[in-house]
Amino acid sequence: MSPDDGDLFGTSIKATEQMKQLMVEYYIEAKTTKDKPICWITSGGPVEFLIAMDVIPVYPENHGAMCGASKIAPGLAEVSEEMGFSRDVCSYARLDIGAAVTEGGAIPGGLPRPDFLLCCNNICGTVVKWYEELARFFNVPMFLMDTPFIHTTKPEHATEYVRQQCLELIKFLEQQTKKEFTLEKFAEVALLSVQAVELWKGVLKTAESRPSPFTCFDAFIHMAPIVTLRGTSTVVDYYMLLKKEMEERVEQGIGAVAEEKYRLIWDNIPIWYAMRSLGNLFASNHACLVADTYTTAWAIDIKIDDPLTSMADAYTKVYLNIAIDIMLDQLIDLMERYQADGLVMHSNRSCKPYSLGQYDLARAVTERTGKPALIIEADMTDSRVYSEAQVRERVEAFIESLEGS
Amino acid sequence: MGGDALKKLLDMRQDPYAAARAYKERTGCKVMGFFCCLAPEEMIHAAGALPVRITGENRAVSKSGAHLQSYCCSLARTSLDMALDGELSFMDGTVFTHTCDTMMRLSDIWRLNAGFAVHGDVVLPVRFEGDLAREYAGKELSAFRHKMEEFLGPITDDALNSSIKLYNRNRRLLAELYALRRDDPSILPGDQALWLVTSSALMEKSEHNALLEEVLADLKSSSAPGNGKVRLFGIGSVMDQWDFLEMVEDIGATMVDDDFCNGRRYFDTEAPEGGDPIESIVARLWDRQACPCKHHEQRGRAACLADRVAEARAAGAVFWQFKFCEPHAFDYPYVKKALDAAGVPSIQLEIEQGSVSIEQLRTRVEALVETIRGS
Repeated sequence: MSPDDGDLFGTSIKATEQMKQLMVEYYIEAKTTKDKPICWITSGGPVEFLIAMDVIPVYPENHGAMCGASKIAPGLAEVSEEMGFSRDVCSYARLDIGAAVTEGGAIPGGLPRPDFLLCCNNICGTVVKWYEELARFFNVPMFLMDTPFIHTTKPEHATEYVRQQCLELIKFLEQQTKKEFTLEKFAEVALLSVQAVELWKGVLKTAESRPSPFTCFDAFIHMAPIVTLRGTSTVVDYYMLLKKEMEERVEQGIGAVAEEKYRLIWDNIPIWYAMRSLGNLFASNHACLVADTYTTAWAIDIKIDDPLTSMADAYTKVYLNIAIDIMLDQLIDLMERYQADGLVMHSNRSCKPYSLGQYDLARAVTERTGKPALIIEADMTDSRVYSEAQVRERVEAFIESLEGS
Repeated sequence: MGGDALKKLLDMRQDPYAAARAYKERTGCKVMGFFCCLAPEEMIHAAGALPVRITGENRAVSKSGAHLQSYCCSLARTSLDMALDGELSFMDGTVFTHTCDTMMRLSDIWRLNAGFAVHGDVVLPVRFEGDLAREYAGKELSAFRHKMEEFLGPITDDALNSSIKLYNRNRRLLAELYALRRDDPSILPGDQALWLVTSSALMEKSEHNALLEEVLADLKSSSAPGNGKVRLFGIGSVMDQWDFLEMVEDIGATMVDDDFCNGRRYFDTEAPEGGDPIESIVARLWDRQACPCKHHEQRGRAACLADRVAEARAAGAVFWQFKFCEPHAFDYPYVKKALDAAGVPSIQLEIEQGSVSIEQLRTRVEALVETIRGS
């Protein structure tokens, strides 16, 4: 997601320029706005409500990714470590708190100060603790959207609890913005969100082709708009453009990786600081990471005839809020749809809901598909725990094993 | 001090599950393991089953390494290891309550690998405030009740109400114990006091109540000399290092009160009696001391803890922190700041079950005690 990290290899994606422009404009508006409130929101949060209320959403996690990719994360994390935060807590949280305190980070002068916070725990419990700290530091109100975890089935009372919280969130936003929420505007935003999500799914689907027109490393970069600004028309325009370009690539047989030989699935948040080296490593071995469990997580399915109930349902069912055996079915589906030869899992010490269970998942995937899985131990932004030589060795051995199979 | 009942309870430390196994053998009841002090133990009890708490133990893990990464807390890793090694096979099922990300995933891994006949998840809200969350909590507890009924048999309102009473009795007795020690901690060493609470979750409640009553009667009738020990307050999740607490006593200090979930947080706040039992269980959840896994907008945990440290007349605090435990690690800087502001010195000890070095910790505690004595 860093402006420096586009165009990793192969034929560059032309739409990258537009994406960068879109994100730059978004951050400029967020930094310079005089009249729109700023809300910091978690990556799995229901941003549609903010867009409908003319609130500018700011994503510390997106910023965390930028800091990770531009390799400034450890320095920021050290600031919060000196404040007493353990090195074992999420590195996004550590670097974000460090950036808030120092007004530093990947955006000149730091992220724009929040007027209020929207925390949705459908991605982890960590965000609750992290946003509690932000609420104390900035002395601003925090809304917690509490989405009960799904272990086996989702009971009716869980959906109802989340739906009621959507109504409560509307009231909260009306208080904060002193504006009235209108269903018309919300339906408009929800429709744009659905359109963007459909287009994003369409983009991801083009990677089912052989050769794949892009890799998941490209998807990690091009996901920024769907995460941050879905519900706006600029995002719809952007994904139309990207989808068209990917479809053209498919028609012309242009692959992201020269002489694509192996197709792999990526699991977990990217290792942001190692994107380029990992991308090159896989590409030079003719291995293309065609899909991942991370960028597909933003395929939130909203039904226009009942947006609130369907949103409550969709936001509760996201990939990180379901049990590992339900995740497994989705993982197998990805493996099959993308005709993958193997699975690469990033065991991310910063993200327990994503990582604990991977050992079981890896075995189950191999058992059910006959395809091997590789587990890489790392951290999404804290490069201090990363051993490039070790990872290289393991990846090369893994690809060699694919050759033999 | 304390007499036979105390000795009987303290002997349990050698084999914490012996009492539960014996009870099962004697009564033929079902045993349900549970992890967190937010679990609705009364419901299991009301069904005629025995709820028994699992909090890991000091052991080097082997089998759980195939399921959990090394950056997962020792409580999860050692508990799973015990289950996979068959050491919990006297349990018929296990119950998880939604707390942290690690326990949430452990529940999945446990359900798929540990091989118990029944697996319960009580997905309590993370918001522990407001009508919406309260209503949801009630519905979730009712759903759990139905699930337990399928396996354990009927749980009537009457049975549930009498279990609530029995559990309240236990809470009152433990609160009395802590009150006695607050007045004079020399009546019982801190490690033994904490074990009296811990053992409550390891045996049938009416049996525990009977023993506690005896212990309390003995403690009240014996005249303790007072010992001038430095009063400390413990903060953390589970504290199960008895040799650590003994060492604290050895160096002239004692834990007079705590926020451990096998300590004060296990027994604080009684459930209202006589009304709808589900409402009563929820009411207690709502009124209890804040847990770092739950979101309390109105009740700042740091301020509450600073107040409680003052009430306990503790001169210092020990943060007992499981390595890789995010909820407690996130709260640490802010709680420490509140204690600093109140002039309460503290130390943070980061530990993993199975690799605790008492000697290293002794130096840290000694330094704290010296600071307090010197001031």
